[in-house]
Amino acid sequence: MKKMNKLKKDHDEIVIPPELEDVVKASIRQAKASQKKRPFLKQWTIGAAAAAALFIGSINISPSFAQAMANVPLLGAIVDVFTAQQLTVDEKTYQANVDTPAIEGLADEGLQASLNEKYLEENKVLFEQFQQEVTEMEKAGGGHLGIDTGYEVKTDTDQLLSIARYEVNTVGSSSTTMKYDTIDKQNSILITLPSLFKDDKYVDAISSYVVGEMERQMDADEDISYFLNSEFFEDFETIQADQSFYITDNNKLVISFDKYEVAPGYMGVVTFSIPTEVIAEYLVSDLYIN
Amino acid sequence: MLETGEGEPFVMTKKEKFELVENFIMENREAHYRLAYSYVRNKENALDIVQDAILKALKSIDRLEELTYMKTWFYRIVVNTAIDFIRKHRRVTVMDDDILNIHLPALKDDMIDMDLQEAVDLLPTKYKSVIILRFFEDLKIDEIAEITGENVNTIKTRLYAALKKLRIEIGEEFRL
Repeated sequence: MKKMNKLKKDHDEIVIPPELEDVVKASIRQAKASQKKRPFLKQWTIGAAAAAALFIGSINISPSFAQAMANVPLLGAIVDVFTAQQLTVDEKTYQANVDTPAIEGLADEGLQASLNEKYLEENKVLFEQFQQEVTEMEKAGGGHLGIDTGYEVKTDTDQLLSIARYEVNTVGSSSTTMKYDTIDKQNSILITLPSLFKDDKYVDAISSYVVGEMERQMDADEDISYFLNSEFFEDFETIQADQSFYITDNNKLVISFDKYEVAPGYMGVVTFSIPTEVIAEYLVSDLYIN
Repeated sequence: MLETGEGEPFVMTKKEKFELVENFIMENREAHYRLAYSYVRNKENALDIVQDAILKALKSIDRLEELTYMKTWFYRIVVNTAIDFIRKHRRVTVMDDDILNIHLPALKDDMIDMDLQEAVDLLPTKYKSVIILRFFEDLKIDEIAEITGENVNTIKTRLYAALKKLRIEIGEEFRL
């Protein structure tokens, strides 16, 4: 038994890493945050799904209703984005809820078709991947797995349409990614971040604004933290040239970061609204952003 | 540590319960880390397991009905998370060890206990769990049964079998 006692001593002497305390605190905070946010997201999803179902239902039941909707200018804008496909799995430990948006009524049908195909294809791949992972997990003796994707229309004006698509993966903890598409409805253009600017100077301008804003927020509220001057994570330095973004209905640029991209997990997806004067001199025009 | 009467149900708000569990997790974080570490023998993975276990525990806090079970309840989550982790990363872990063995010079001080430690590491997880919980965490047989969801006799059998595999003689002074 002596050897075992030595092992026990070794066990008691396992070095406790200094970051353990932070990890534990951050995990507790993250659990608290998700507790608070959950019911809200659920309600929102149910509401959106019900509304979408109602719309699709009406369109499917009555072609003349659909026709009428498209012809009423005010309502025409509302019917622009709808749920094209819903895939769900609801078993005890495996949950999937994959909602695919589709756009309708865009003048350029080629652009519309390519976006709709992209949405369908991406979600098909996700759903198949999920099914495969479930099969593998079953073979290995079971586990928990969840996926939740859907979309939100961020902006819908006469000129602009911004759609945000989210993907939440749950394996123990969860990761969230956000993807955005912003479309100029009048000219049928899919807007990319670089296309808004004359050259690539915007990358530095936006990055330094974001860093300043991160510092300001962290000073103001100790519950907020970003990967800046942190000991254990790679610091945020610059946005990607094609960083995720959308444009608000009052023509402001919003930069978005996925969960874990620039902040600890409990912060979730973080966004920064960029004041127009920060980027004004680099913009091609003030048509979209002003 | 929290003390409460045998089998006393929670007569408190959900918020109070959450705070109690939160304090328990904070106070015993080092024990939980060591437990996770003994499964994966690697700092980063052990931290990941601790993090996952906390999230799982606080999400399923409603399932903890009696304060007296808090310790075994949380240990069960850590153990299951660790076993899940090993299952998912099996190939990666083996690779890591191989690469490490090539690059790291063998430390002389460690060599003495290398065999037994290695033997424990190589045990199938169901045996490894009983060894870790009984000898490293000093838990009682019925607590181990509670954590692993097995009955007491199964745990005893496993413990004897595990020690046999490790070729350890159980001294008279030691009570299983």
